[in-house]
Amino acid sequence: MSRTRRDNLAGALMMVPASIVILVLVIVPMVIIARDSFAVSDPLGGNLGGFTLDNYAKLLDPVYAKTMGYSLGMAVLNAIVCTVVGYVVAYYIATRPARRQPLLLLLVIIPFLTDFLVRTFSWITLLGSGGPIIGLAKLVGIPATSLVPSQAAVVLSLLYAFLPVAVFPIYASMRAIDPSLREAAADLGAGWWQTHARVYVPLSASGLASSVMLTFVPTLGVFVIPVLLGGGKDPLVGNLIVTLFTEFRNEPLGAALSMVVLVLMLVTVALAGVVTRVVTKKRSA
Amino acid sequence: MKSKALAAVGVTVVAALALAGCSAGSGSTSSGGSTKLHIYAWSGEIPDSVIKGFEKETGITVSVDNFDSNETMISKLAAGNSGYDIVEPSQYAVPLMVQRDLLAKIDKSKLTGFDNIAEKFVNPSFDKDNEHSIPWVWGTTGILYNEDCTGAKVTGWKDLWNPKYKGKIYMLDNMLSAYIGGMQVEGLKATSTKKSEIEEGTQALIEQKPLLAGYNSDNYADLVATGDACIAEAYSGSASAKAVASNPSVHYIIPEEGGTLWTDSFSIAKNAPNEDAAYKWLNYTLQPEVAALATDDGASASANEAALKLVKDQTQVTNPAIYAPADSLKKSEFIVDPGDALAYYQDGWTRVRAS
Repeated sequence: MSRTRRDNLAGALMMVPASIVILVLVIVPMVIIARDSFAVSDPLGGNLGGFTLDNYAKLLDPVYAKTMGYSLGMAVLNAIVCTVVGYVVAYYIATRPARRQPLLLLLVIIPFLTDFLVRTFSWITLLGSGGPIIGLAKLVGIPATSLVPSQAAVVLSLLYAFLPVAVFPIYASMRAIDPSLREAAADLGAGWWQTHARVYVPLSASGLASSVMLTFVPTLGVFVIPVLLGGGKDPLVGNLIVTLFTEFRNEPLGAALSMVVLVLMLVTVALAGVVTRVVTKKRSA
Repeated sequence: MKSKALAAVGVTVVAALALAGCSAGSGSTSSGGSTKLHIYAWSGEIPDSVIKGFEKETGITVSVDNFDSNETMISKLAAGNSGYDIVEPSQYAVPLMVQRDLLAKIDKSKLTGFDNIAEKFVNPSFDKDNEHSIPWVWGTTGILYNEDCTGAKVTGWKDLWNPKYKGKIYMLDNMLSAYIGGMQVEGLKATSTKKSEIEEGTQALIEQKPLLAGYNSDNYADLVATGDACIAEAYSGSASAKAVASNPSVHYIIPEEGGTLWTDSFSIAKNAPNEDAAYKWLNYTLQPEVAALATDDGASASANEAALKLVKDQTQVTNPAIYAPADSLKKSEFIVDPGDALAYYQDGWTRVRAS
């Protein structure tokens, strides 16, 4: 057996545990959902199997398109807001002295050791009528009552929930940027805006693309935040899927909607990949 | 590449079949002297004191899992081989589970103390002769309001349609519960199965939506107690009772247009592995002094008539957020499963939510 073949074999063997995990925990459930999305349901909530396209046909109802559109809008908005704020935070951290950076990164993560639901509830307290923000507003004479429920509260807590996901990839790509490039840009007469627009943003493009992707995709699946902070009047597609699986006891229809969301997510990932490749190519050319 | 992908699909299919096979092969081993009992119940409805007492008296080890919706419970049982002996469905879920053959018929001759159950839960509309369910706790769907905020007494559903409270009104985030208000405010029965009537209810809910702060089944009681909400459709029980107790301006009422009852019952799962222990559980919980603990330790209303006078804190029995007064319940009906009309409700509710 030649050396390369043995290496190949060893490599393949080492892939086995990871492959099994992905197969059992990712691919199998996805295949089950995909299969269920073509199944026939009965009014009692049973899954009768069989094959039908009815579930997908039902999703053509404008009601679903409306919720889908709203969710996509929300996800795009959240991806942009998170990436912009994430860029600012990541730039701040990346330009601090090297030995202070780990501490700052740790500060970004610490709140996330607390349960997601608990943090969402704490936003209700912060933004609610007895909270500090309203108290401050009253103190300076702004007649405010409560920020919950509101769209602003939803956007704010979505930003809070996904910010670390945006900070890390941007920070990772910024760390690779040589600090002397900033000085070079300054020497060549670039101001603050030009330094960012022509040096930092292009050089951290792959991090920015990952950030957009990593915040956009999970926002589509969020369902607790819109209920608790938005009043639940404008459901996201995640809420709709929960309703279909539980109250409407229609697993196949819920599965079909999940598949649509899944395809949308895959398209986004593919697009982000293409964008990153084009940008990287341009840079190296 | 292609053959690899095909192989992956093949393996996946085999794995899926294997999983399906596991759940399909449900073996039932019912033994005479079981030492274990597996219960699947609503969270917070069986106080620890009841479980401890049962374990002490019978020497049977109890394990309890909780669910937060009937649908979750049903799908777990329907998947097969759940291993549960006792389950706790709500009234509308009982016929659904009977039709899907998930519940065992209860042999009344093995029960003692069934005559302790209050009259309105004996032979109920959802389960003839209590063949599959023994009511444990009950409650109502009504209105929780904060008088400081409304500035007036609230009497019925129409107040949840009052523009005066715009942005301070909450409805329950649950289709059938929201339709109770939507139907009864129009003078219709909450259990209607007529398409045209359900459409009227849908229109009422769509009309109401701009007035709402939101749909909420999680923390509405806190919101009313703090005054962030003036008025909310609410379930009776511990959350509402706590809100009423914490603030003298907070009241729980049964709306004058009607109101509805719910009840959560103990049932024996089909092919229960420890059927014998399950009957011991039913008999244990039928005792008035045990049933009274549901109120004392769980702030739920007991379906056991004989238990009422045994409740230690009698203010709980007169608290309308736990025990609705008998005269307010005259018009109340049990919410039952709408059957085929479910499609009309679903269609309507989807439109309400997207409007």
